[in-house]
Amino acid sequence: MAPEPVDDFERELRQAFERRPAPPSLKRKIMERRRRQNTERIHRRVVFWQRLAASVLLAVAVSGVFLWRDMDERRKGEAARDQVFTALRIAHHALSEMNAQLAASGRGAQ
Amino acid sequence: MARDWQPDFEQLVDEHQSMVYSLAVRMTGDRGLAEEIAQDVFLDLDKHLGKIESPLHARLWLRRVAMSRTADALRRQRVRGMDLWVEVEESHGASAEVRQSPLGARLEALLATLPEPQRAALVLRYQEGLTPDEIAETCDAPLATVKSNLQRGLKLLRAKAQNHLKEFIRGA
Repeated sequence: MAPEPVDDFERELRQAFERRPAPPSLKRKIMERRRRQNTERIHRRVVFWQRLAASVLLAVAVSGVFLWRDMDERRKGEAARDQVFTALRIAHHALSEMNAQLAASGRGAQ
Repeated sequence: MARDWQPDFEQLVDEHQSMVYSLAVRMTGDRGLAEEIAQDVFLDLDKHLGKIESPLHARLWLRRVAMSRTADALRRQRVRGMDLWVEVEESHGASAEVRQSPLGARLEALLATLPEPQRAALVLRYQEGLTPDEIAETCDAPLATVKSNLQRGLKLLRAKAQNHLKEFIRGA
């Protein structure tokens, strides 16, 4: 509720200070800027998700490479261990045979 | 709780652009800057549209933000050392707008010479028809300060009008 003017001067003031009509272009400019901002906001959101997806993919790829290298090294280690065991088994067999031959020749000499 | 009223941005622009623009132009005296302020105020409204609860809330919000944005713009201009009112008519001609009455234009010119807090109080009082309480709420200022600004501003404007606008004003 507007306050009642107390004298002529205040009445004149109220008339002089009536709202001015906004420029006809104001609404168009506001709507254009709003549209532009919305487009930019959507674009920023899309770029954000794209970057996030790319980062996740990169992280998965790097982790995959490290995991693969780890598994490969473990596999190679196991193969090497198997080879060592095989060699030890062969050496053990050869030594056992040699030991048996030595024992047989010792008994023959007695 | 569900709200009955759903804000329609375009409708709010239609309804309030005149108020926001008039506040900005009377406070800054620069039509170009006033247009920019009005655009910023409405884009700010767009961001906060979800928080607006009613048409009254929208009006109060817009008035408050318009005054605050205007004060910011004036502060920035003061820092740059520019006096906006000096440039009014030269930089932004009135051809595109509805021509004001000679008295209105002169009163606005006199209003421009008042200190900013007094100008704000008078614009809100006589353009928007607000009470001192409402002005205090809009400007986030103590009521006593607002009343003092209104009294001093009116007295000063009356004195200036007596000197410069004798031919127009009966009550001055």
